[in-house]
Amino acid sequence: MNKISARPKSIHGKKEERTAYLCLIPAFLGISFISYFPTIAVFVLSFFEYNGLSSPKFVGLTNFQRIFTKDIYFAESIKATLLYAFLAVVGSIIYSLFIALLLNMKIYGRTLFRSIFFIPYLLPAIGVFKGWQWLYEQNFGLFNFILRMFGMRPHQFLDSPHEVIPSLVMIAVWCSGNLIVIFLAGLQNVPTVYREAAEVDGANTWQRFIHVTIPCIKPIIFYNVLTALITNLQVINPALALTDGGPGKKSMFMSYVIYLYGFQKNKLGYAAAYSVIFFILVGIFTAILFKTQREAIFGEES
Amino acid sequence: MNNRKKKEKMLNLLATLAVLIFALLVLLPIWWIFRSSLMSVAAVNAYPPSFIPYEWLLSNYSKALETFKYWTYFRNTFSIIIPAVTFGTVTAIFCGYAFARLQFRGKRLIFNVCVSTILLPGMVTLIPLYIMWTKFLGLGDTYWPLILPFLTGGGFFNIFLIRQFLMTIPKDLDEAASIDGAGRMRILWTILVPAIKPAIVVVGMMLFIQIWNDLLQQLIYINSMDKFTFAIALTNFTGSFGTNWPVALAATFMTILPGIIIYIFGQRSFVEGIVLTGMKN
Repeated sequence: MNKISARPKSIHGKKEERTAYLCLIPAFLGISFISYFPTIAVFVLSFFEYNGLSSPKFVGLTNFQRIFTKDIYFAESIKATLLYAFLAVVGSIIYSLFIALLLNMKIYGRTLFRSIFFIPYLLPAIGVFKGWQWLYEQNFGLFNFILRMFGMRPHQFLDSPHEVIPSLVMIAVWCSGNLIVIFLAGLQNVPTVYREAAEVDGANTWQRFIHVTIPCIKPIIFYNVLTALITNLQVINPALALTDGGPGKKSMFMSYVIYLYGFQKNKLGYAAAYSVIFFILVGIFTAILFKTQREAIFGEES
Repeated sequence: MNNRKKKEKMLNLLATLAVLIFALLVLLPIWWIFRSSLMSVAAVNAYPPSFIPYEWLLSNYSKALETFKYWTYFRNTFSIIIPAVTFGTVTAIFCGYAFARLQFRGKRLIFNVCVSTILLPGMVTLIPLYIMWTKFLGLGDTYWPLILPFLTGGGFFNIFLIRQFLMTIPKDLDEAASIDGAGRMRILWTILVPAIKPAIVVVGMMLFIQIWNDLLQQLIYINSMDKFTFAIALTNFTGSFGTNWPVALAATFMTILPGIIIYIFGQRSFVEGIVLTGMKN
């Protein structure tokens, strides 16, 4: 990081400052009107009853009270969201790191392969879900055909309360090509000198991976876990496109419940209270992640 | 030594083989959608299924197009994507430039405030933003709520990326130009922008994917049928077609096609851009 030098307040500096503020107007508007004000507004709105037509009515903590005691989706939605996010983060990190490691070896046609693994990431979500719905189809779908080929019992996948989350996680893992590319960028940054030095010291492939590669790409792992976590906690597309939260509320993700209350039942105040709880939940998990990261770094230094 | 080289070659060959198998597995779903979209209902329901269609039934596509107004949705989707991506990229360049190159009071504070928004989940602001766009500004059932947020750089991550990249460009470049009498904006657009092209391509593509992948926002803001985008139309279409999978998959394949075509043309600079920008962490 360059140190910001104290500049003499010349005309030149004033002009520079004005240019800077002009350049930053869009960001300033965006940060205020798209991020900060709405965040404040969601807290305020959570104390009101508002259906979008008549004027909002102040109800104090009633919305929260109702969510915690009477809401038919609350418990299921937290369970579904956390389970999905956990499995999707773990699954996509392992998958993408593994593929990135393979791609980082001296393989043939690396550029082509790198592009192939990226493709699922840029297919439109809704197309992906519709396509996979067909793959998961119970009687004629591809996956059940493969299972039968190996003499296994066919599964219900999206129609089974027990299999719906893992089935959706599979799709998320398939789509995580962006993580592969970022991991690959990090791996190519690992100085070969370290690996060679470890090799001279007699470290085998696994030891080199654990003691050289992993510590070197730790910041990249952290970055990928963080973005994957925030993305996957906000999961909503599979419920919108495929499951409607079912079967048996097993895919009632919190984001989907916010959507249901806000836009299907027109309870905007109630949905805002739900958003607040969601915000706090995501905040807690982000904080935990940051804490473990710091400990991991300090632990290494001591 | 020779032995070791042989062993290494063997290992690389094995790795290539493993990558090949995984790549085929990754492509399999896409192939399966495509292959099913060309078959008759009887053929997709046959057991065991064939990997390659016996006959290529393009009639599924024409049947889908009867109710799935592809070109309308195409026009609608891109009338969101084109302005949003353009505005988003341009404003990200301006803001990234300010943070990378200019000195001003409160720089660090402003920067940190902006960075913190990366962690803000978009879901949280959904309800207030909806109220703002539709009740206060009366922009419900228009594309504005989907486009205007991108006038602000489309999220701070993009601004951050441009800044990081600009910081790797030597300052001598600007200074030489400013001695020649070029103003700041001239320097930015004629010297710096060409120099950070990979980062700009990445930002553009990220914005594209963000809108391309979105269903929720489009669902809540767009109501009239003639304004439907691919995402909304496909959600409704496949539902209405019941069990005629080939026709539904024909529509599905048509909607994923533009992304694949754009990627084939842009993939080199895009993936390389991500690799480059990732390196500048």
